[in-house]
Amino acid sequence: MTTSTAIRRAVGIGGVAAAAIVASGVFARAPFTEEELAQQMDALYESVQLGYDMWHGTKPSMATNGLACGNCHPDTAASNPQTFPKYMTMYGKVVQWPEMVNWCIENPQLGERIDPASDDMTALAAYAMYLHRGIPIQPGLASQQTSGVVVEHGTGFKREPTGLGVDSRDHTPTPN
Amino acid sequence: MSEVNKSRRDFLAFSGRAGMATLVAQAVGINLGIVDVVRAESGGKLDPFRFAIISDAHLYSMDNHKFDQQLIDAVNKVNAMSPKPDFVLFGGDVAQNGTEDQLVKGKEILSKLEMPMHIIPGEHDWYLDMGDAWRGLFGDETWSFNHKGVHFIGLNSILVRDFWTEAGLSPKERMTVMEMLESPIPGPWGVHEQQLEWLANDVKDLGPGTPIVIFTHSPLWDYYPRWNFQTSDAPEIREILSKFDNVMSYHGHVHQTLYNRIGNMSSVAAMSTSWPWPYPPVELAFPETRMNRADPSIATDGQGVQIIDLNNEFQGLVQYKPFEDSLTPFMQDGFTV
Ligand SMILES: [Fe+2]
Ligand SMILES: [Fe+2]
Repeated sequence: MTTSTAIRRAVGIGGVAAAAIVASGVFARAPFTEEELAQQMDALYESVQLGYDMWHGTKPSMATNGLACGNCHPDTAASNPQTFPKYMTMYGKVVQWPEMVNWCIENPQLGERIDPASDDMTALAAYAMYLHRGIPIQPGLASQQTSGVVVEHGTGFKREPTGLGVDSRDHTPTPN
Repeated sequence: MSEVNKSRRDFLAFSGRAGMATLVAQAVGINLGIVDVVRAESGGKLDPFRFAIISDAHLYSMDNHKFDQQLIDAVNKVNAMSPKPDFVLFGGDVAQNGTEDQLVKGKEILSKLEMPMHIIPGEHDWYLDMGDAWRGLFGDETWSFNHKGVHFIGLNSILVRDFWTEAGLSPKERMTVMEMLESPIPGPWGVHEQQLEWLANDVKDLGPGTPIVIFTHSPLWDYYPRWNFQTSDAPEIREILSKFDNVMSYHGHVHQTLYNRIGNMSSVAAMSTSWPWPYPPVELAFPETRMNRADPSIATDGQGVQIIDLNNEFQGLVQYKPFEDSLTPFMQDGFTV
């Protein structure tokens, strides 16, 4: 048993959640093992995967007119999570990115807003933020359209291959 | 290589970086620069005329869906033009989910056009029944015709290899895979062998001076393959058309204003009537032809129709006619290709 696992066991918490708590808390502890880091990333990918699915229309309450986030924002392009919080004219005030998502759900998509504190909203943010990783955080006005990073895998994040066509972890699309 | 392109290439080599702004303006044809003079000297007269492009309606099955009205608006906009276009090209993606009711609704709305229409399919029209309903309603997807001295060609550029049979996908699942722009499954699409043969045969007796307009759903250059902003056999198409002095390519699918020129072929994209797509993360040769970023609070921002006026020297004045104020000053009065 590694020291870090032993510490987790000792304080009575286990699994991936424990890693996050310990990391953000005041516990002094040894660095995470490779295995623990992999678990944490898997947990993140799971959320990203849920966000990816919802982004492409798997949650029916998000729209009554058939539109999904992906209609206008392929690869989350121009969803600009790195520019929030910012002033949005439709609100007349500075809002967070999840509020902008809810604006899109309620207006162009004529759907039902999602609780900003829910796992669903976290998943949408996980997906969009993941595809914008490495892009500088620039709160404020976005007069410029921004795109996500050039994606690494067929879906832009590591996931189980579907076995269909070119969708695999190994496939690297050619950026042009 | 034609005189036009040779002189363009020489000019590019000669001018270097210093004159970049002027060069770009001339290459797009804004000024009556060196390129245009050469083209004028090469002769080849045709009857000037205007045609319009409407594209990417993406109609849903619901009654009174907002995209229905946006396509109606596009039809009304084209009908109200003066002078009237001789005909309209529709750039594909009439339907969102490829269902017959969506295609029928599209045909019904487009039948209000007061001029003839020519149409090619988009991926959203096709993959539920592999084009059966589309063909029944709109006819052949591969065609050519001559109009006032110009040879117009339409090809189906959204053919992918079979990813569904082995995987045992239902028609609806196959369609769903194709509906996603960034779908990781189908891979790049193209026109495939049969249409290449057809094309070679179609143009074999035409002289190099013949004005050619080719019309496809996707661009005939590698813009952003991940979103199928490409046509996999575009190089073969270009090879077949390489004997012509000047070829104009017009396409849909990208839902944005866009211009490019490679060799003897200029390439112009159509705005959609449904929603605008963001510009992908690539550098453009002519970034000044990008439209403004759409404001999501204006439902019809970043969409519209386009008209092309061909003069007697086979130059085209391209004018985007957006529903809202989408154009940069560079684009306001159109540009010549
Ligand atoms: Fe489209
Ligand atoms: Fe398309």
